[in-house]
Amino acid sequence: MRDSEKVESIIRDAGGRIVGRTKLQKVSFFLEMANLGDGFQFKYKHYGPFSEELATATEDAVALRNVSEKVCPASWGGFYSDFSLVAPEAPNGPPERLKLAKTAAEADSVELELAATALFLSDEFKDPWAETARRKPEKADGDRLSKAKELYRRLYAVVPGKLPAIV
Amino acid sequence: MRQRIRDPLHDLIEFDTERDEFEGVLWKAIQTKPFQRLRRVKQLGFSDLVYPGATHSRLAHSIGVFHTARILMEVIGRHVHKVEDSKMRQALAAALVHDLGHGPFSHAFESVGKRLGLKMADHEHVSDVLIRDSEVATVLNELGSGFANDVADIIRGRGKKNVYRAVVSSQFDADRLDYMRRDRLMTGTQHAGIDFKWLIANLQIASVPFGVDESSIGEIETFVLGPKAIFGAEAYVLGLFQLYPTVYFHKATRGAEKIFGELLYRTIMLVQDDSVSTTGLPNNHPIVRFARHPDDVESALGLDDTSVWGALPLMCEAADGAIASLAQSLRYRELGKCVDIREKVAHAIEDSGKADEEIDACCAKIKEKLTDWLGSQDANVPPIHLDEAQRSPYKLVEETQGPLDRINIYTNGGKLVDLKQRSAVVAAVKPFKLFRVYCKRSDMETQKVVDAIVDGEIGNARQ
Repeated sequence: MRDSEKVESIIRDAGGRIVGRTKLQKVSFFLEMANLGDGFQFKYKHYGPFSEELATATEDAVALRNVSEKVCPASWGGFYSDFSLVAPEAPNGPPERLKLAKTAAEADSVELELAATALFLSDEFKDPWAETARRKPEKADGDRLSKAKELYRRLYAVVPGKLPAIV
Repeated sequence: MRQRIRDPLHDLIEFDTERDEFEGVLWKAIQTKPFQRLRRVKQLGFSDLVYPGATHSRLAHSIGVFHTARILMEVIGRHVHKVEDSKMRQALAAALVHDLGHGPFSHAFESVGKRLGLKMADHEHVSDVLIRDSEVATVLNELGSGFANDVADIIRGRGKKNVYRAVVSSQFDADRLDYMRRDRLMTGTQHAGIDFKWLIANLQIASVPFGVDESSIGEIETFVLGPKAIFGAEAYVLGLFQLYPTVYFHKATRGAEKIFGELLYRTIMLVQDDSVSTTGLPNNHPIVRFARHPDDVESALGLDDTSVWGALPLMCEAADGAIASLAQSLRYRELGKCVDIREKVAHAIEDSGKADEEIDACCAKIKEKLTDWLGSQDANVPPIHLDEAQRSPYKLVEETQGPLDRINIYTNGGKLVDLKQRSAVVAAVKPFKLFRVYCKRSDMETQKVVDAIVDGEIGNARQ
């Protein structure tokens, strides 16, 4: 499968629409970590696990008009991308992949980024949540970190035994 | 006593090592082996194949970034109620050591590292290791245990954001303000001239919002411009932007990077396959050592531009024909034929009155077909190399685009807006995109295949 087709597959299996570049990246990351992914390699960036190949493949998918990207203004002054399939199709991946992708796609983007970051750091740090909060104090502020842990529990429950038990 | 460095861009850079403990420590950091290695790593890699004057080192640039960072700290000092010395020092030290981990011909070196999963080819990782745990860390921690870790965190964008960190990473960070002027000076290009003093004189501090996708996170203080800097800002944005097609993305430079990348990749594979004797290199060569111990920071530190150039005469006589041929190409600047696909598509499609999206779509289809064709080829060395890159007018800092990813400038009425709202010139600038393919000049068969694929898709797009 070409990389651009993998992007279509992620969006399709997440329910046909993913709102936000961060969300698309982190949905893909969780699929990879649960061995339900498409082979994208992730590296740590200050905004969490990120795949250059996925970013390029997304641009290609949009250029080829298989994925639609609507750029929308956010209330805080930035812009976010709303990705959907140009020709909607029913999800057709394995049930666990569909459930994981959908659950991640429906989550809050900040909580998803925090959860993805903790997962990425879990190999190296005994307490990946503390390290996540240390690296991203503004994003982990208030009750976001505890909500991110809640989200991780939900994602973990969707694919039992496929993600590390870090909460 | 003051230590002084004469610099072609900044004239004189001074360190008051006698009366200022902080500057004394930074001077010591410059004397460490990892920092001195940067003398042997050119800032612009293979650009001197195009611009013979572009031989300046990463060492000169790093010291220049520190000097520029001091100037930016003066701007902060004018605007904050009370300067926080510790945060200022951490950011200044970060400015000095931010490029410590760069390998030779970094862009190509890192591409090979990605292909082979080599952590020590990733300059950010190597810099992090060196700053936290090497001779450099020992020196920096003279300023307090944990100082080196704080510096490394700033470079990696970890921890609480503050205005001092904007000196290291922002639209007006010290890195860009040095490299754009230094690269312009040393290449000799007459593009990209800026009014540096006027920009500095008009820099202010303001809080701008940031977020993740639809969600707001908060506000951060960063550099913004006063209303009188509109034309200086235009020149800055356009100047930086123009350096990409003319210098950093020059087709000959990128072509040389592709040859080096393939040469290094094949050499590492042969060494790891116990075939070092076919590479032309001796067992104790730094490249061989790195191939054998790719996770060892010391073997990464053994690599610099001189270890590559010095290897070429040996590799020209390698038993492995592909190695010998690639080494010869690089040593004698026998660069491949470059087909600028995007330019060819744009010329053909623009004539039909079609939009940018059509150009993007055509290029994406060509890329698919070339990738498929390449996958069907069975050769020691790929017959073509694809090259793709793009550059936006603004530096993109965050994953979600917002006010941190643009130049913010005050209007005469005191409102902070995107420079694009005040400048029709900047608003009109579209991202620069390149899509090229390189093949051997003598390989007429491959060139025919490429031409057929490109012409075919152009034909489809024009219908």
